[in-house]
Amino acid sequence: MDPDREDAFRLRRGDASGLAGLMQRHQDRLFRYLLRLLGDEAMAEDVFQQAWVQVAERISRYDPGRPFAPWLFTVARNLALDQLRRQRPQSLEETDEPAAPPRDDPHARAVAGQRSSRLAAAVAGLAALDREGLSLRFEGELELPQLAATLGVPLPTAKARLYRALARLRERLLARSPAEEWR
Amino acid sequence: MSQHVSELLPLAAAGALEPEETVRLAAHLAACEACAHEAATWRRLAEGLGQLPASRPSHALVARTREAVEARLAERAERAWNRAALGFLVAFAWTLVVLSWFVFDLVAGGLALQLGRPVGPTAAWYGAYVAAGWLTAGVAAVVVGRRTPEEGRTA
Repeated sequence: MDPDREDAFRLRRGDASGLAGLMQRHQDRLFRYLLRLLGDEAMAEDVFQQAWVQVAERISRYDPGRPFAPWLFTVARNLALDQLRRQRPQSLEETDEPAAPPRDDPHARAVAGQRSSRLAAAVAGLAALDREGLSLRFEGELELPQLAATLGVPLPTAKARLYRALARLRERLLARSPAEEWR
Repeated sequence: MSQHVSELLPLAAAGALEPEETVRLAAHLAACEACAHEAATWRRLAEGLGQLPASRPSHALVARTREAVEARLAERAERAWNRAALGFLVAFAWTLVVLSWFVFDLVAGGLALQLGRPVGPTAAWYGAYVAAGWLTAGVAAVVVGRRTPEEGRTA
């Protein structure tokens, strides 16, 4: 049996060990996604905690016939978008200038090269909806159908969003460092 | 470079192509050096996106989150227990109401015999007795229900 499904059943029965298993498998990518989308560590921490509490409260609504990750990301996404709208009433389609790369821990700093940091800075400068598409696909490792389910859009729309986000990212990279390897 | 093929390249790097698009693109890349170079660039970009520097949730955050969820689970379990207990008590109370009618009727009959005259509309007296009992229980439930959250907040 799928471990996520097993843990979701446990959590539904009120067994906290179900939560431990789900968190262990999904907490890192969920946090990376929130950090990328919100661009602020304190806000990401707040939404991270709220998301897991909401998962525990609404676990009876989760359909165990479907993968857990998109459902989790949908719960977190709704909370994060509410937070963003409260924080910045401007459109989520607008770019976040000046772009500040998300803070990273010393270990991550040590292993991340300059190229990676430039890429992170370029991603951070994209609009929230572009950042989230890229983060869900590349950091959350969601397949396209799962990505579409998380965003609540049809498959072709999810594909178009992903394409647009990648194209915009490359434009930014080329504009900032034309001599680089992105050409 | 064909414009249509160039539009497939970023999606190919993202692993978001349909199987037939993948086949078509592979055939084109085998014959087109410029597109093959472009495809390699998109692949590097996609790899980079999968390896961006990012924090992991701190141990403190994970511990806080687990505590918050466990507290919520405990609340949920308590609410479920309270609902079950309330359901049982209501069912028990109605059983007593039905059974007590026979006792009430018996006592009224005995009293009428002792007094040598009817004691009045027994059903009406019984109805008033039951209504008073439920009203008292309802008021007590509201008072206790209001006090419990207040005590919970100050605890």
